[in-house]
Amino acid sequence: MKPFCSNSFLFILFLGFGHFNLQGQLCTFSLRGKVVDLHDNTPIFGALVSIEGTNFFSQTDEEGSYLLEGLCAGQITVVVEHPQCRPLKKEVKIYSQKEYNFQIEHHINELEEIIVSESQVESQNSSLRESILKGDQITQFSSENISEALASLSGVSLVQTGNTISKPMIHGMYGSRVGIVANGIRLRDQEWGADHAPNIDLNAFQTVQLIKGAATLKYGGDTAGGIIVLTPLKKKLENRLFGSTSLNFESNGKGGSVFSQINKTTAKGLYVSAHVTARRFGDFKAPNYNLSNTGLKEGSVALKFGKTKIVNGWELNYSRFQNEVGILRAAHIGNTQDLLQALSSQEPLRIDPFTYTIAAPKQEGMHQNLQLSYYLTTKKNAKWKWDYSYQINQRKEYDIRRNSRSTLPAIDLKLQSHTILGTYSWDNKAVWNFEWGTSGLIEDNFSNPNTGVKRLIPDYLKYEAGAFFVVDYQPNNLFSWDWGVRLDGVFFDAQKFYNQTDWENRGYALSFPQFEVTKMGTQILTDITLAFFNLAGRTGISIALGPSYETKLAYLHSQRAPNASELFSDGLHHSLATIENGNLKLKKEKVHKMVFSLSKTKGILKASFDPYVSYANDFIYIAPKGLEQTIRGAFPVWNYFATNVIMGGFDSDLAYDFNSQISFKWSTSYTYGKDLLEENPLIFIPPFNSTEKITFAPKSKKWNFEIAHQFVGTQERYPDFDFTYNTIEMGTIVPKKVEVSTPPKGYNKIDAFFSLYLSGKELSQSYVRLIIQNLTNTDYRNYLNRLRYYSSELGRNIQLQLVLRY
Amino acid sequence: MKNLKHNILTLVLFFTTALFFSCEKETPEIVEEQELITTVSLKFQSEEEPTQTLRWQLDQENVERANLKVNTPYTVTVTFLDESDPGAIEDITQEIKEEADVHQVFYEFSGLNITFSSGSGDIKDAQGNPLYLETIWTPTTSGAGSVRVYLIHEPTSKTSTTRSGFGGETDVAVDFPISIID
Repeated sequence: MKPFCSNSFLFILFLGFGHFNLQGQLCTFSLRGKVVDLHDNTPIFGALVSIEGTNFFSQTDEEGSYLLEGLCAGQITVVVEHPQCRPLKKEVKIYSQKEYNFQIEHHINELEEIIVSESQVESQNSSLRESILKGDQITQFSSENISEALASLSGVSLVQTGNTISKPMIHGMYGSRVGIVANGIRLRDQEWGADHAPNIDLNAFQTVQLIKGAATLKYGGDTAGGIIVLTPLKKKLENRLFGSTSLNFESNGKGGSVFSQINKTTAKGLYVSAHVTARRFGDFKAPNYNLSNTGLKEGSVALKFGKTKIVNGWELNYSRFQNEVGILRAAHIGNTQDLLQALSSQEPLRIDPFTYTIAAPKQEGMHQNLQLSYYLTTKKNAKWKWDYSYQINQRKEYDIRRNSRSTLPAIDLKLQSHTILGTYSWDNKAVWNFEWGTSGLIEDNFSNPNTGVKRLIPDYLKYEAGAFFVVDYQPNNLFSWDWGVRLDGVFFDAQKFYNQTDWENRGYALSFPQFEVTKMGTQILTDITLAFFNLAGRTGISIALGPSYETKLAYLHSQRAPNASELFSDGLHHSLATIENGNLKLKKEKVHKMVFSLSKTKGILKASFDPYVSYANDFIYIAPKGLEQTIRGAFPVWNYFATNVIMGGFDSDLAYDFNSQISFKWSTSYTYGKDLLEENPLIFIPPFNSTEKITFAPKSKKWNFEIAHQFVGTQERYPDFDFTYNTIEMGTIVPKKVEVSTPPKGYNKIDAFFSLYLSGKELSQSYVRLIIQNLTNTDYRNYLNRLRYYSSELGRNIQLQLVLRY
Repeated sequence: MKNLKHNILTLVLFFTTALFFSCEKETPEIVEEQELITTVSLKFQSEEEPTQTLRWQLDQENVERANLKVNTPYTVTVTFLDESDPGAIEDITQEIKEEADVHQVFYEFSGLNITFSSGSGDIKDAQGNPLYLETIWTPTTSGAGSVRVYLIHEPTSKTSTTRSGFGGETDVAVDFPISIID
């Protein structure tokens, strides 16, 4: 196959880079590695390693090593043969000097099977391009949260509540539209809360895969935004004790983190691993002032114990994550007038000296997960897998309250969930791959009544049952076609107190008389049962246009039942000075999405361009509808509504190696969103952004230096939700516009990284890294930060990172 | 092998069913709202005029109007109440007095010429700043307008003459109509 060069679109994309020659690849690469026994890792002597269709071959020595030299860049098929083993074929992409180890099944008579173990990540989907973070890229973010690490991928933004609480946003969608899968099970935390960060520690995982869209039907059909799959280190059958420790010190917040892990694996397949992380920060600093009460404490532990063999394996794992996060003191306001005053001030209205103390307003979160997994491989390349997980998620929020009640949480929610997932996968000569499975979920939310504040989310039980079937057809390496369907039933049973007047004014008394239980004073107790049936499906193709170009096209359909917050929420948001009301009349949300991807995956110039468009029916969103007179004055009331929406945009990445020492990377993304019923732009859509990165590494690879520039544009498309509030000035009433809609100005930010490698090779390397974030100490605000009315983003931060691997 | 598969499947099914049955949810308790202020009352007392009491209540359509006389000093007492449970009315003013350092009451007039100062029965905080729970109002010219009564929590200043000057969070901001006659 010749490289496909006639695509005019790619040419336009690459125009800025002058000449490039796709054919000018030199055949100077080599492939080396070892062939070992899958069971006990003993080197296999005398195995023949050859490249299919060529005369290249090498025979392994006593140490099992082979070496193939003079290879051209491109994809090759390596064949490993040995008299006592079945031949093994493996596709290998050559674009640098490469090391590749093969594990072959030596005792062929006992088990008619060959398993290939490789360090590469199993792709979740062949017709959708996925973004991956692994190893060192994850360590780089070891002192930050998972969302910040994800935001380094194009197409991912952060929805923030201040500087420490953030959620990932994919293609303009977040919350319940983004799923997080850890250890093969969906994370069941309070993902519906915009100010609830995912309660998970990234350090416990080896790879992060991001699939933009509801493509991974195994884990759910409701994630129109995308799905994030976190996978821990793959265990190998060898006697090994290894671990790593990383230490981070940061100037901004005068704190840091420590992370340590230890793993023990044995040749018999038994393994045990443990990891612990602790983070502690005081008040962070914007360029010109202290961000009072933004400190943070976090700790997490995880223990894992299991046995992995070819025919079967099991694992028991427990993890616990706990944090305490301060909320900017100046963001706790009482009414619209306070908001108006905050908006007119350049700085937060309350700036106190630096402290490590975290006072109210603050948040405390805890997440525990106990998981049991078992798999069984049968003779026909089929695999059964069962996972059961019990998760407990607790969230407490503390407000500033009278009479020393600030120590009593104002929100105290406990969410318990049981998840079961059973799958059966089967591949037929690697051409047809099938997977089907069923899943079940029971979720129990308990809202503690001792808070002395009306429940934001009521007590509820939620049941989910689902089944999926996916097929992947890959007749050769140039073409693949996949499709899948999933069906889900979602049932809510909530017990909620409504104010009698609200129950009547919202028309619920007429629509849902069957939910009424008893009237208690001004309140009415209701027992609400709702059922939703969701269908999700996808299909897509992937076509390789020659050895280095690839196109993918996928259609995805997802349906999502409204979440607990959209249905039931009832309360006042202090930082936004809004009253939020759920809506019982919401229907399921239906999203159609088309994603196209064109990429060049090899050579000194790599690039990808991924445009997408999605249409959503009954898309659930929150928007202000009038003012409500309260004892604190007039409050804007935000209600959940359904509308039809069109969204689109693109993500693009480009990487160019000037030479072996200097490389350049550039990624951009743009999102467009429109409410078709209101003829308005959608609220909270990330503005255009672009990141360029230049890396320099000397030939010795002993150190490297990287500088990154990020440009974030001004969001010009936003709905106007400004409203008027009457203030009293000099004895007269003055109506004033409360400008809550206007996005902040765009900004430029520069980060620099310097890494010094100490010892070891690739994944087992120890290093020291110096990171400077916001080098120029730029003062900027972020549209997707819900506390942007009160303060700027973080100022310069100097971080020293020490990673030791042993 | 087949048997094993079956056994596991049965186990999983049994487990699932057991889980479904074990989930019986209790009826939730009603929340005793502790932070609530449902009522603000203003009592106007003067030597020459009869006493007037105005009440601002949650879910109330119209607020009564106070009728004051020019150049007549009135002793105005503000009270904050939680009347959500008619059987147990709570006087929040007591809490405010106990935490005098972190609270402030303030009045802003629109369309009215009224001067006000701390009254003899007023409460002062640790620094000697008046809380304005009891104030002396003296209307200077006739007219009609309204007063906005504020209860401020954790003010950044306790000595201001404007709402914005006090800082802090607004716990209460309610308007009362007032007429001043000659």
